[in-house]
Amino acid sequence: MARQKLVRAPTTASLPNNFRIPSSTPSLTKTLSKLSRQALLDLAFFWLDDRNISSFPPYLQQDDIEGRDDETLPYPAAETIEEVRQVYQDLQDRKGGKREVLERILEGDWRNGITLRQLAMADIRYMDDHPASLRWTALELSRIGKQPQSPDWSGSIPRIQAATFVQALQHEISPLVKAHYHLARSTTLPLTFLRIFVVDSPYQLPAQSAEVFADSSRVIYVAFPDSCPFIYTSITTSASKTAPSTSSVATDTRTLQRLVRGAIPKALSRPQARFTLNATSLAAKNLPTLLALRGPGRSTASNGAFSIFADAALEGSPLDPRPSNTVTPEEHIGFDSVKGDSDRESSKRKLAKSVALSPISKKRHMAIQSRFGTGSALAPAPLDRLDIRLLDRPGGDDEDALPAVSLTFSGSNVIGGLRKLAELGVVDPERMPSWMTGEEGVSVATVRDGRRLKKDV
Amino acid sequence: MQRVSPPKTKPNPTNNQVRNLQKRKRILTSSLLTTDPIQKLLRKNQTSNEDLAALSPLAQAAGKHNETNHHRIAFGVTAFPFKDPTPNTTSNLLGIRIEVCTRNGQFTKPYYVLLRNERKRLRVHRHTVPAFISIAKLESAYLPRLAEDAELAKKARRQDLQGFARELRRELVGWHMRVDAVEFLREKLGMEGSVADGSPDRDTGVVSVAAVALETRYVRLEWADGRVGRFKLSNEGIVERAVVIGDQGRDKKTEDAMTGGGGRVETVLDRLRVERVSLSP
Repeated sequence: MARQKLVRAPTTASLPNNFRIPSSTPSLTKTLSKLSRQALLDLAFFWLDDRNISSFPPYLQQDDIEGRDDETLPYPAAETIEEVRQVYQDLQDRKGGKREVLERILEGDWRNGITLRQLAMADIRYMDDHPASLRWTALELSRIGKQPQSPDWSGSIPRIQAATFVQALQHEISPLVKAHYHLARSTTLPLTFLRIFVVDSPYQLPAQSAEVFADSSRVIYVAFPDSCPFIYTSITTSASKTAPSTSSVATDTRTLQRLVRGAIPKALSRPQARFTLNATSLAAKNLPTLLALRGPGRSTASNGAFSIFADAALEGSPLDPRPSNTVTPEEHIGFDSVKGDSDRESSKRKLAKSVALSPISKKRHMAIQSRFGTGSALAPAPLDRLDIRLLDRPGGDDEDALPAVSLTFSGSNVIGGLRKLAELGVVDPERMPSWMTGEEGVSVATVRDGRRLKKDV
Repeated sequence: MQRVSPPKTKPNPTNNQVRNLQKRKRILTSSLLTTDPIQKLLRKNQTSNEDLAALSPLAQAAGKHNETNHHRIAFGVTAFPFKDPTPNTTSNLLGIRIEVCTRNGQFTKPYYVLLRNERKRLRVHRHTVPAFISIAKLESAYLPRLAEDAELAKKARRQDLQGFARELRRELVGWHMRVDAVEFLREKLGMEGSVADGSPDRDTGVVSVAAVALETRYVRLEWADGRVGRFKLSNEGIVERAVVIGDQGRDKKTEDAMTGGGGRVETVLDRLRVERVSLSP
């Protein structure tokens, strides 16, 4: 049988879901080996599920048309799907390393290759397990032009129909790059992920080396949180700032990322309703942080000193006969709590602890409480980095002497650390500016006279 | 190898009991002090408030708190002053507190909007309103800013704080009512909580009812025969629009049944039932 000659022509279609990456690709092995044993098993079970089996068929004996000698291979091909399922069930039932599961997948049941969709699912699973694995930037969607005067005060968010959006996005970027799209709902957080993998090729079956397809720098994530005019991307903002250099014409990954970022607001727009993406001065490694500071909940616009309002720690229900000042804030926060008991317990303990250890004077303690508030006990938002540019003149109004002072704080929880410093007496809680208390809810700020400037100078 | 288990921090049951009883005692004390006869008696015997304060700060605090609670319950929107703890800001903030009572008779956490005074104009400083209600839109409509130009500033519209609070409260109440309505439909179908067993409702054939997003503007329905539908819920609890799609395309009859008959969301399942009965011979 003569091998069919492959005809390649430029198309505007996206990369197909079933495009296979050879299982022997080193970068593929590397990507998959980041997952835990349980995650790999869960994925295998999902692929082998009755509803999905047609999309992810494992290698069976009937596929062995070339009549290779099975004896030399480490994993002989199974006869039926049921047999394959049993293998993973056995792996599930016994303890062991993830190595054996990974090898079984790559060299056994999916030896013909892992499809782009399978790889995307593995990546999303990894992100669900490790919400702090990427650095996310929050962007705000805002409408261009005059808004129609309507009595509907909640109609400011474009309603996103995922499939339509992906189609529109595809329409925007397909003349420039080829992409593979994967949409998935987060299992742990109230958001939807869109994973976009880009290749600079006009062909539907690009001829790039297999290494390229598991290259994580070519992957862009966009997360759509529920019911709020924000989106999060894994694209670094610096990529959009750098001017396009003439030498790299749409080949380096940064240019590709910029193309995608530019296409997102266009894909969200409809006739008469155009949207644009604005920076919100917030980037953090932790998705829950972004959800707390730029999400649909109460804490988006009241942080720091105002977190007492977000947590409703001031007063209880109007049906409570006890005067508010005789009830502890923890009890107020606990009422009508949507979180689980364990969370409440831990936040309670945290608050109780800070009250119990009080070698610092009561006055300072009160000041810290009033400046930092409850610290969003219900939705803690640790910042891993805080960049501050100070525009204050050291000696009066001397115009010439304007030193550029930039401060960068980094750590697992910057605001929490500043609070600790205040508790230890290093920082004066009464005089510190509000950007130190997390009130602004930003990770980048330009400050003059202790106040954040709305626009970067 | 011996494993040393960490000391358990399990709460002592007796301690818990004591705490609960203490809490109950405090609620009862406060309730007693706020009852009308006692407050009247205190007021009758004492001519001035200062004397009352001297007699029992607890009684006075209870009376005051009671009054605040009455305002909060009766009006739904109340104002309070708040001092911004940030240094170098002299502005005292005006707080607005919005109460929403839900279906189970409980009040949700109050929603707050804090306004600052900027050149004799009110501006929203901080708030705890969910992001899908556009505070910016409300602000530009009811609390317009002063234009930079002095000429234009003269013509600027007046700020309408009452209108702002009224519209905001309407929107918040509308949202909670939509959430309650969906919860009510789920309860009727025996789908309380987040876990549905997937078995169809006998009378309507509906497998699931769920809000599309937190906003609960759209509600998604699924039928046992594979049809899926969506309807839009207005703030007043009316099914404004409905789309049902099955294997044979749009199911106009079911759509009409959902939006017809006044369109109340509470009775949408009854209408679906009637429609189903009329279809089956």
